[in-house]
Amino acid sequence: MPLSGPFLQELERIVGIAGLVRTPEGRLVYECDMHTFYKGAPDAVALPTRADQVVEIVKLCRRERVPIVPRGSGTGLIGGAMAPVGGVMIGTNRMDAILEIDLPNRCATVQPGVINLSLTRAVASSGYFFAPDPSSQMVSSIGGNVATNAGGPHCLKYGITTNHVLGLEMVTGAGELVRLGGKGAERPGYDLLGAAVGSEGTFGIVTAVTVRLLHAAEAVKTILASFTAIEDASEAVSAIIAAGIVPAALEMLDELMIRAINEGTGAGYPKDAAAVLLIELDGPAAEVEAQGERAARICWERGALEVRVAADVAERALLWKGRKEAAGAVGRLAPTYLLQDAVVPRSKLPAIMREVIAIGARHRVQIANVFHAGDGNLHPLILYDDREPEELERAKAANEELLRACIEMGGTVTGEHGVGLDKAKNLPLQYAEADLNFMYRLRRAFDPELIMNPGKLLPSHPACGEGFRPTRPRVPDGAWI
Amino acid sequence: MAVAARSIGEALVMIAGRDRVRDDGGSLDAATVDGVRPRWVVRPASIDQLSRAIALANDGGLAVVPRGAGSALELGNPPSRVDVVIDLTGLDQVIEYNPDDLTITVQAGMSAGALAALLAPHRQWLPIDPPGIAARTLGGVTATNASGPLRARFGGLRDLLLGVRFVQADGVLTWGGSKVVKSVSGYDVPKLMVGALGTLGVLAELTLRLHPLPDSERSWLVALDRPQAAQDFVARLIDSPLQPNRVELFNDDAARLVLGESGSAGVAVAIGSVADAVLEQGERLGALAKAAGARITPLPEGFWSRVDSAMAAPPGWTVLHVASLAGRLADTIDAIGDIVRTASGAAVRLNGCASLGTFRVLMRGASDAGMAAVVTRVRAWIAEVGGSVVVARGSVELRKAVDPWGPVEPGAFALMRALRDEFDPKRVLNPGRYVGGL
Repeated sequence: MPLSGPFLQELERIVGIAGLVRTPEGRLVYECDMHTFYKGAPDAVALPTRADQVVEIVKLCRRERVPIVPRGSGTGLIGGAMAPVGGVMIGTNRMDAILEIDLPNRCATVQPGVINLSLTRAVASSGYFFAPDPSSQMVSSIGGNVATNAGGPHCLKYGITTNHVLGLEMVTGAGELVRLGGKGAERPGYDLLGAAVGSEGTFGIVTAVTVRLLHAAEAVKTILASFTAIEDASEAVSAIIAAGIVPAALEMLDELMIRAINEGTGAGYPKDAAAVLLIELDGPAAEVEAQGERAARICWERGALEVRVAADVAERALLWKGRKEAAGAVGRLAPTYLLQDAVVPRSKLPAIMREVIAIGARHRVQIANVFHAGDGNLHPLILYDDREPEELERAKAANEELLRACIEMGGTVTGEHGVGLDKAKNLPLQYAEADLNFMYRLRRAFDPELIMNPGKLLPSHPACGEGFRPTRPRVPDGAWI
Repeated sequence: MAVAARSIGEALVMIAGRDRVRDDGGSLDAATVDGVRPRWVVRPASIDQLSRAIALANDGGLAVVPRGAGSALELGNPPSRVDVVIDLTGLDQVIEYNPDDLTITVQAGMSAGALAALLAPHRQWLPIDPPGIAARTLGGVTATNASGPLRARFGGLRDLLLGVRFVQADGVLTWGGSKVVKSVSGYDVPKLMVGALGTLGVLAELTLRLHPLPDSERSWLVALDRPQAAQDFVARLIDSPLQPNRVELFNDDAARLVLGESGSAGVAVAIGSVADAVLEQGERLGALAKAAGARITPLPEGFWSRVDSAMAAPPGWTVLHVASLAGRLADTIDAIGDIVRTASGAAVRLNGCASLGTFRVLMRGASDAGMAAVVTRVRAWIAEVGGSVVVARGSVELRKAVDPWGPVEPGAFALMRALRDEFDPKRVLNPGRYVGGL
C-alpha cells in the first residue's frame, strides 16, 4: 500500500527531512529484525525525536488508517519490528536521551531509544545497575526491552523487564499521550503499566520509561560444573532450587553446544562433558560463600565430572565467554538455525531434554541446547542448511513438535523473546478462545482502529476480524425473565 | 428487562443447590456491604457454579459483590447497588502444587493461613503479609492488592501472581498468564487483575510463585526518633550489601503498640538467609546503626506476628494507604503528623515499608468531617511528590465525604473506563466501588 504524496509531505513536516526514510534502499534496512525469516519493508520510516512528534504521526496514521510498526534497535527475535503489511515504521533511535537519574529514589527516566547497557554505564560509578540483561544488551534499546518484556540470564533472581519498570509515557493507538505508573510504588486504578509492558507495540509507542535501579551486589561467585549426562545436570538444577538457593543465573549447555564452543572460542570446557552448568550467585559475601559451597556439593552429589570456581574477575569472564558466544559458535555446525524459546516447569527439564533428543532423531535434525535452566526456559537451536529447502521443512516440523511437547508439560510458548509474528499462530496452543478474546478486547481499548503493529502478538482469527468468540456458560432456562 | 425476584432466587438454587443460596434475614444482614443489604448470598461449590451465577446476574441486570473473608469490605466507594453477594470461601481447593517448581495453583477462596500450613512442610512460603493475613482469602488479597512488610524484598502480588482464572461479567470463564515462573506469551493479564477489586472479573483460581523459606530469620529494631535520621539510615541500608527481608518503619505510637512501653520510633529490619549470613549481616547492621548514632536492639521471636495482630485496625479506626517515595520519607512522615495533629489532635499509628516509601496510617478520634479534611490535606501534599492516598478502611460517611481512591491521571483513567465499559458494560461486578466510581 504505497503512501500518498500528501501523506508523505505531512510526515516530513512532522519529523523533518532528516527524520524520514522513504527511498527503497533506505527502507530495506528496516525490512526485518533478527528473525530474518520474516521480511516486510515499511512504506516509510519516521525517526522522531520528541513525544509530540509521535502523537502527530499516530494521529495522522489513525486518520488515514495506515498501520504503524514501532522499532527500537531491531534486535528482537520474533519478527516483531518488521512491516508485514507495509505502513509507517516509527524508529525510536533518535530518542536516546537519559532524562533523569534519581538516585535517592533508585530510579531513572529515559527516552525509549537509550541502549540498555548505556544506562548501567551511566550509573555504575554510583554502584547501581539496570537489572534486565538480554544478551543483546549492548545494542538493544530500553524501549524495545519494555515492548518485549525482555529477560536475560540474570532474570532468575532479578526478574524480567516488567519487574523493573515503574512508569511509562506512551502514545496509544488512539494518539493520546498517557502516563502509566510513576516513581511511586503504587497508585489507585488498574495496573495498565503491567499490561502495557510486553504488549509488543500493539497498544502504542512508548516515549519515556522510568526504570528501577538496583544496587550492585557485594560478592559474585561463578561456578562451572560439567556432567557426563544431561539428566544429571538437569537434576542438579532441580536440587539447587529445591535447596532454597536462588542463583542470579543458572545456565546449561549441552554436548553439541559444548563441542561447538570448544572448537570455536576455546572456552576450555571438559571435552568429554555432555552438559555444562554455569551457576552464578550474588549477594552478601557470607551468603554467597555458604550457598556456593552447597551448590558445588549438590553438583558433586549428582556425579559432576568437574566443578570449577572462578577465582577472580578474569576467570569469571572466561567461564561466561563460552555461554555468551554460544549462538555464534553454532555457525561452525550448520549455516543457520531456528531458535526456540519455550518454557517448561523446571522439574520437567530431564523429561523435556529426553524429548528434545527424540524429536531431533525423528526429524533428522541436529539440535544444540543452551538455556536458562533455572527457570526452565529452553533455547534449542535447531540446525539446518538453508541451501536445502527440505532441511528447513524438517527443522520447522521439529520446532513445532518441540513447542507442543513443552505446552503438554505445562509450559508456555515464549519465556522471554516474545510472540511477534513468529509465535502468534502458536498462542491457541496455550489459550482458549475466551482467553484470546479477552486479550483482543484489551488491546482494542488502547488501539481502537487496530493500527498498531498489526499481525503481531495476537493470532488473526480464521473466521472473522472481530476476534474470538468464547462460549457462555449455561444458565437455567427462561422462567425468570 | 423486567425480572421477577422470586424466579431469580429459584434459578440461583438450580445453579448452586438450595443449601448454598441464602435469602433469610440473618444471612442478608451479615452480608451487608456498607449498609446496603443484598437480596441473595450465594456460596458456589465449584467454578462452574460461580460462572453460571454471574451469567445469570448479567442476564438479570443484577449487581454482584464478590466476597472472600470480608476483611477489606470497607475499601472503595460505598456500592450503588448490591443484589447478590458471592461468598467465595467455598472455593478453597488446591489444584496443583509442584514444590520442585516453586509454584502452586489454588482456588481463590483458600485462606492464606491454609496455604502457609500446606507449604511449611516443604520449607516454602508465599511472602505476602498484610495485617490479618492468615484469615484472608488469597483472592481477596489479590483483588485488593494488599501487602505488608515483606514487600521490601519480595514485591507485591503483581510480582507473585503468574496465572489467573477469572469469571468475566458475562459469566465467561477466562484464563490469563501461565503456570511457569517465566512467560511472555500474550498480554500480562494477571497484572491487570491485581488490585482491580474484581471489576474486570471475579477471581476463581490463582497460580502463584513461591519462595524458599529462609533457613533463619532475625530482626532488629534500630531506634531513630527523627524522621530525617530514619530516612538517612534507610538510604545507607539500601546502598549497603545487606539484603533485608523487611525494612519497616514505626512511629512512636505504632512501636509502643507492638513492643509495649519500651517501644520507640525506629526501623525494624529483618534479615533472612543461611544462618551464618544472618549473623554476619546482623553485625553489619549493628555497625550501620552505630554509624547513624542509633541504638539497635534485637527483636524477640514472634515480633512480626505481633505486628500482624497489633496493626490490624480496631473497629472505628480509619486506615490510609499512603504511597510516597523513599527519598521523601522524612517529609512525608512530618507532613502526615502535622496535618493530623492540627486537624484533630487524634492519635496516629504509622508504619510502612521504608525502602519503598509506602505507609499505612491508622487514625482515630476526629469526626468523619475531620477525617475527610485530613485525607484531602495529605492528598494535596502528596500530589507534589507524585504519590497517592487511598482510604483503605473508613466509615461510609467518610467515604461519601471524600473520594476514597483519590485522583487518577485523566489519560490513564480514560483507558480504565474504556476497559470497564468493554468488559462490564452493564456494571454487574462491584458497581460504583472502584476508582472514579467505575
